[in-house]
Amino acid sequence: MIDPFTASVLSIVLLALLGLPVGHAMIASSILYLMLAGQDMGIAAEQLLNGMFSSYILLAVPLFILAAELMNSGSITLRLLAFCNAFIGRFPGGLALVNVAQSIIFAGMSGSAIADAAGSGKMMQRMMTEGGKYPPAFASALTASTAVIGPIIPPSIPMVIYALVSDASIGYLFLAGVVPGILMGLVQAGIIVASARRRAFPVERPVPLRELPGITLDALPALMMPVVLLGGIYGGVTTPTEAAAVAALYALLVSAILYRSVSVASVYGSVLSSARTTASIGMLIAGALVFNYVVTVENIPASLSAWLAGFDLTPIAFLLMVNVILLILGCLLEGTTILLVIVPVFIPTANALGIDLVHFGIVCVVNIMLGLITPPYGLLLFVMTTISGCPLSRIIREILPFLLALIVALALITLVPDLSLWLPRLFGYNG
Amino acid sequence: MDRLSRTGLWLRRRAENIAALMLAVMFVAFIVQVVLRYLLNLPGGGASELTIIMWLWLVLWGASFVLTEREEIRFDFLISSVGPKVRRVMSLLACAALLFLYGYSLPAVWDFVTFMKIQETSYLDIRYDLVFSIYVIFAVATLLRYAWLLVATLRGRDAGGARTGGGEGEP
Repeated sequence: MIDPFTASVLSIVLLALLGLPVGHAMIASSILYLMLAGQDMGIAAEQLLNGMFSSYILLAVPLFILAAELMNSGSITLRLLAFCNAFIGRFPGGLALVNVAQSIIFAGMSGSAIADAAGSGKMMQRMMTEGGKYPPAFASALTASTAVIGPIIPPSIPMVIYALVSDASIGYLFLAGVVPGILMGLVQAGIIVASARRRAFPVERPVPLRELPGITLDALPALMMPVVLLGGIYGGVTTPTEAAAVAALYALLVSAILYRSVSVASVYGSVLSSARTTASIGMLIAGALVFNYVVTVENIPASLSAWLAGFDLTPIAFLLMVNVILLILGCLLEGTTILLVIVPVFIPTANALGIDLVHFGIVCVVNIMLGLITPPYGLLLFVMTTISGCPLSRIIREILPFLLALIVALALITLVPDLSLWLPRLFGYNG
Repeated sequence: MDRLSRTGLWLRRRAENIAALMLAVMFVAFIVQVVLRYLLNLPGGGASELTIIMWLWLVLWGASFVLTEREEIRFDFLISSVGPKVRRVMSLLACAALLFLYGYSLPAVWDFVTFMKIQETSYLDIRYDLVFSIYVIFAVATLLRYAWLLVATLRGRDAGGARTGGGEGEP
């Protein structure tokens, strides 16, 4: 007879493979656990309800989705993309490079990879596949892999959650993400440039130089968004969650007043579309919250911690091992769950080994973001399947080169702490 | 279009209206909260509570009445690579498992939610059994949905796969 925990883990995998929505699979399997363990089955509802009700930080998710939707409907995204395109569309694989550049700019406005993929990513997907320019599966894979930059460059929801569990400073964590985020963009651009000739990627019509100032000016209010957002957070005016709401309001105002490109119908469309995405992703979070209870009750963190102490590890070996463990777990668990349940287990050991907790946070978050695009259980892969209608298997095939390049970037970020810590130190961090 | 599906469509549109309204309320409440706290220096506890209630309700309401099968996040991996016969069996198994587990736990869910009537939220003083009643609605709606899916699959419709659309031309 297998124990309830193993049964529930197997049940999640089985039900998900049978085609049940992943959120339902996690809730149903947690109920199975409660049933087999002889506990009150109402606990599943209790965990879900209390979890959703107390996770104030998660409110940033729907608000960032809304901000992105409003930006898209209000032509802000379009102007930003035109801005990126004017500068780098003229190179081979131009639109693919634009996809990387826009994700870095958007990363400065949104804190969630999912929101990036569902927002500007959706628009990139449409632009790249229009007129058969790029294979849809390649466009989806690229959009998913550029979206992971979103939470590395501030603002970042996962880093806020990490700050919560590690007591590291949110401000320094945000700063520490900037260089690694740009590095990740660069390796992706490298893959595109390397394959542009072989796959005959199209070149966009070069925009004449005299049009550049106009396009830049046109995009300026949109480009100011990161300033407004980060200014709000760093100036201590708003919490990161509130900054998300402010971002949505800013997007609405800029579109309505400056660009005059919104109607009541388009705003309703954005709100409804965001509500749908919120419900879809919220169900996954809800499922993770319920299953989180099972993991906690089974004392998985403590067992893992004890097991780790058994090895006499050097800091580098420890970091590499954490990387491997998180990458594997990232294929199975949802990122927020890993941050809330698994990462705290490593923090005492990291501290004891003298690993800087800001650096450690960046390593963990980058790792978890890679989990979003690691098959078979990659949330971003699912989102892109929904957006593009491409089968998951084809997106997975296209994402492998990007994933490998990002793993190399992760190795660099892990082995060279200065990549992360240089900028925070410039601002007075002494770690 | 017969009357039944017309009524269904009408109901679905209203469900969408409500979901959009919930998000809109959440957004406005958030802005109000920021204004109260930072511009007027007033406590925004009520607005904050409203936001979080809307978040909870939006997710469960949306999952119950708004999301189409296509929009739900799932592995399409296996199910899209097998033939219609195997897919039918897989759908039946998934439906049956969900119906059993959600159905079997429903009384316990009811007990928990009704028990919560002893508490009220801190600012708006709403009884928790009312706030949490959305879970009962969600559980019952999910049970009905999967019972319908089970029947449809038994009758030979190719249901349950990721490719099955919501039925009314959602993109």
